[in-house]
Amino acid sequence: MKKRTLLSGLLLSTVLAVPVAAQDNMDKLTNMQKTGATFTHIEQEGDRAEALRDIIQHIDVPDGFEVSLYAVVPDARSMSMAPQGTVLFAGTRKDKVWSIIDRDRNRVADEVKDFAPSITFDIPNGPCFSPDGFLYIAERNRILVFPAAEFFFESPDIAVGTVVAQGELIPPEEESFNHSARVCDIGPDGMLYVSLGQPYNVQPAEKLEMYDELGIGGIIRMNTDGTGREVYTRGVRNSVGQDFSPETGELWWTDNQVDGMGDDIPPGELNRQTEAGQHFGFPWTNARVEIPDYKDVPRPEGVSFVEPQLELTAHAADLGMRFYHDESFPEKYHGGIFWAQHGSWNRTTPVGARVMFTALDPETGDAMGAEVFADGWLNEDTGEYRGRPMDIEFLPDGSMLVSDDFAGAIWRIAYNPAPAE
Amino acid sequence: MSRTFATILGGLLLAGVASSPAPAADAEAGRKIANMCRTCHGVDGYAQIPVAPHIGGEPEEYLEAQLMAFKTGARDHEMMSVVTAGLSAQQISDVSAWYAAHKVTATLPEGVTTADAPDACVSCHGADGISVALDAPNLAGEVNIYIDTQLKAFRTGKRQHAIMSEIAADMTDEEIRAVADWYAAVALEIVPAE
Repeated sequence: MKKRTLLSGLLLSTVLAVPVAAQDNMDKLTNMQKTGATFTHIEQEGDRAEALRDIIQHIDVPDGFEVSLYAVVPDARSMSMAPQGTVLFAGTRKDKVWSIIDRDRNRVADEVKDFAPSITFDIPNGPCFSPDGFLYIAERNRILVFPAAEFFFESPDIAVGTVVAQGELIPPEEESFNHSARVCDIGPDGMLYVSLGQPYNVQPAEKLEMYDELGIGGIIRMNTDGTGREVYTRGVRNSVGQDFSPETGELWWTDNQVDGMGDDIPPGELNRQTEAGQHFGFPWTNARVEIPDYKDVPRPEGVSFVEPQLELTAHAADLGMRFYHDESFPEKYHGGIFWAQHGSWNRTTPVGARVMFTALDPETGDAMGAEVFADGWLNEDTGEYRGRPMDIEFLPDGSMLVSDDFAGAIWRIAYNPAPAE
Repeated sequence: MSRTFATILGGLLLAGVASSPAPAADAEAGRKIANMCRTCHGVDGYAQIPVAPHIGGEPEEYLEAQLMAFKTGARDHEMMSVVTAGLSAQQISDVSAWYAAHKVTATLPEGVTTADAPDACVSCHGADGISVALDAPNLAGEVNIYIDTQLKAFRTGKRQHAIMSEIAADMTDEEIRAVADWYAAVALEIVPAE
């Protein structure tokens, strides 16, 4: 035992001697100093782009729609379009956020480079803009804000502020790699809404109270300066897609459900939240399916669980979603919701890797039923993925962008009906 | 000096591995089991998603020990705990043999040499991230966030290992990230087994 202590002591002293390359530049940037950081540019032509364009022939979309490659973007995850429509920002589950620029507005990106390379990011999955142009980036355990990011992204050293400091979004002991891809949105109330997946398949009962208090396995909201944090949504397993209805201001979100109960249960979920604090059932239930681990754990008193709007194909992994509030798609899509199904990881027969759509009932505002909008990223003969759609965003012309973290691409789907003969 | 460490560590590691009985493994049977691994780890062990490590060409003993740790609950992971619950000890041996059979090569990025590698890691994980100990994983080309997450798990005690728990115990976030960045920058190539 003594030998081991000595040994690790020696090892540690050598660790400490390693020059620290990954120094966080937050202090320098806050003081408007230069850091010497440089950009990583992603080649937009060549073999990689050609290989991606070869995938397009496999993608099925409804009549009149057309698929193209918008940009080559490694690991592209959640997206946010800047208010002026010049730059698209995409997060990753690694250490980069990408700026994707289409200066000539020909609907193909001209330039893709990393955003704020001076900053050491940690799973910066979720970018989101406020209407006045502040870019928020939700990481695994920190939230940063970049004022006027759409204009300042050209500098590697960029003005930055801290909304939630490192280690204060969740307790550092609760950090994991899985279920740590945050998404964020600014609500109609001007508050910042952030999803916090719980890190387990099903969380152990002894974590319930702490998680409930912090909103882990939920969605939290706060003022954009980080004050006034509260749990807005309870009973979530791991939501990686949310958007506010432009009609009602209600928050809708997707959820990913428990593994290991079989290929066909529990269903995926699309949820509609009508008031603050609602509980959606997890870990007691996923939709109407009871979770066996929680059969004997008392449910929260005086709480009724909100059922999902739609029960979706089990394990298809419903992720990023957006309301369609543009004009260029046909009427049936106006006001409806598009979302990405990332595809299953351990279902016997793989399912997903497609873009889904639901219209909303004009009377009740409820979702009317899921239909496939675009698919073909899953090779059904071999069960292998060609790509895995992760999030949906829209260009100023109303055409759709689909991020794909497997192929490393952003696809564009536009409505271009053939002219009448 | 570092040679001595390596020998001591090697002794510790071998002793740990030898105590678990190893059934004869069948890599060909393991290849079929790998169908349930491939969406995340690839059929040849080159990871397809950031949260999964590369496992092709990993020491067989390490793979088997980790899969057993997930199965018994000694190590906990949202996905791997579910996967291993359905695997027998024989299947674990077989799939470990399949992935271990691949050949790996690692190439350091331009402008650095093995002398720049983090000293505390090289005696088990190699300067280029190819393991030199049976109970140590390859680190070459892993996503930095993966290595970062594992080191932090050792630091908090969520993941435990006689050597790693102590090494990670006093590392700062910045030191952890520096080590993670070193190995993430190494290019890994996996050549499938014949």
